[in-house]
Amino acid sequence: MDRRLSRRGALALAAVGIVGCLGDSDSGPYDGNGESNATTTGGMETTPDDDAIADSPLPIRDGQLPVEYELKALREAVVRSVVPQDGIPAVDGPEFEPVDDVGDRIRDGDPVFGVRRGGEAKAYPQSILVHHEIVNDEIGGEPVAVTYCPLTGTAMGFERGDTTLGVSGHLLNSNLVMYDRADESYWPQMLATAIEGDLEAASLLEFPVVWTTWERWIEAYPDSTVLTEETGYARDYDGDPYGTYNPKTGYYGEDSDWMFDPLQADDSHPPKQVFLCSRPEDGPLAISLEALREHGVYGIDRAGHDYLAAYDPELEFGRLYRTEDADAFDYEDGAVIDPDGDRHDPTDLALEAVYAYDAMWFAWKGFYPSTTVHD
Amino acid sequence: MTDSTARLRRRLHETVLASRVAVRRADSVGVAFATAIAYLFGFLWATNSFTVRFGAGFSWRLVDDPFTRALERRGPTSFEPIAVVDAGFGTVLLAPIDLGIGIALSALVGLNVALAYLALVQPASCGIGAGAGAAAAVPALLSGSVCCAPVVLLVLGIQASGALLTVLPWLLPLGAALLVGSLVYVAGKVGLERGPMDSEPNR
Repeated sequence: MDRRLSRRGALALAAVGIVGCLGDSDSGPYDGNGESNATTTGGMETTPDDDAIADSPLPIRDGQLPVEYELKALREAVVRSVVPQDGIPAVDGPEFEPVDDVGDRIRDGDPVFGVRRGGEAKAYPQSILVHHEIVNDEIGGEPVAVTYCPLTGTAMGFERGDTTLGVSGHLLNSNLVMYDRADESYWPQMLATAIEGDLEAASLLEFPVVWTTWERWIEAYPDSTVLTEETGYARDYDGDPYGTYNPKTGYYGEDSDWMFDPLQADDSHPPKQVFLCSRPEDGPLAISLEALREHGVYGIDRAGHDYLAAYDPELEFGRLYRTEDADAFDYEDGAVIDPDGDRHDPTDLALEAVYAYDAMWFAWKGFYPSTTVHD
Repeated sequence: MTDSTARLRRRLHETVLASRVAVRRADSVGVAFATAIAYLFGFLWATNSFTVRFGAGFSWRLVDDPFTRALERRGPTSFEPIAVVDAGFGTVLLAPIDLGIGIALSALVGLNVALAYLALVQPASCGIGAGAGAAAAVPALLSGSVCCAPVVLLVLGIQASGALLTVLPWLLPLGAALLVGSLVYVAGKVGLERGPMDSEPNR
């Protein structure tokens, strides 16, 4: 990454000079304080248009996901046309190959995004998705979009029905803003709720995408298939424009600066520290992956019920469940011990699963300022 | 025809003549060529179209329907590559329009530096300030901004702002305009009426 930074240093100096001439007082090296570019309101009050939902091929979630800003404030905070629409091209005709055919294309420690759904297991290398951000795929016969935003470190899956998702070229809170090609509504990935267009205030149906390493994924799912580099586009898939994850360098480094002002700035944690994040109806929560790894299980008390996060050592991934009494669970040698003393795989507890995904701290706190933090 | 129009026409004519001189001498042609090649590689490197990677092997891959793909924009002044070429010492993304832009800029940079070279080796005859050609380096650097904006921001280490994102698409045309401007400026210093290689300086 250092090499990549240095080769652009000259461009940077030139650009700084020009922006300086324009008197752009907002530009300058990140000083760790950060500025917020939106103020929290009472949350989204807009409701979606039922007719638009009925006419849309996109599967829409029953009930809205929580959004902590009014949509107008979010639309005003969007950084528009960072690249042209589809300038980062989604993969619309993905091709896959068996794990055994991959060879040395993917190293053991390289990050991959895994999906197990409908009896099928598929892996999407981060090295490919960093250049495309969206793969319009079918898994288990169902049309889905597997999405990744490199700037917020979020990998999320969505049902897409008979349409496809594309990269709008806009960013909100550094996060990928997708657009659907049927209605051209705009969907920030982390919110999974449209902020603009006919479907505004409606929420997508999500499914979990596991962020793990190649070595761990193929050990867990040796029959998996993996996305090939035959994407229909010419890209240098050996290079990542933002840094590296194996090891973490550049933009992905925990203490590195964010690129775009977050909606709400908070320096209580390193900007890029990864949290297991969720936004259930009773309020968003973020659990430090580091703390979860250390404890194995992590209980969160909420009025009326608890949440239990469990660490899956096989995939190095966190799972979240809703339970009556999280304190009754324990963790031992990679297994969760239930109140009866029985051992369970952390991925398969007999509890209500709650959707959660990994995200960089600054991005999560920006979207969900009321989040509780557990570290 | 107004005086200013006449002066502009005369200056452009002088630019053409001075450029012809620069490409007729073997030494200045050599300087121009070497500079242009070096700049072209730097341009491709800065725009992520060329990555030095020893042991990259030798292979190439062409996308389906390359003619259509080549016209798709992926940035304000950047278009889709149609092939990935591993050339042993590095990987090249072949984007025909970007390559064309790079070659045009490289030619302008080479010509600028060739005129600056003539000013250095024959200062009395040409009367060109040595610093004039050096100005070519500035637009040359600016022109590298065709690479994607977030990456430039990453290097800058700054938060994005409306002003910055507005400026970025203009860096390439601005760089090209500066190159043409410096060429015209340098050409105006050449004593063309008496022949650029006359013994007396023009001024």
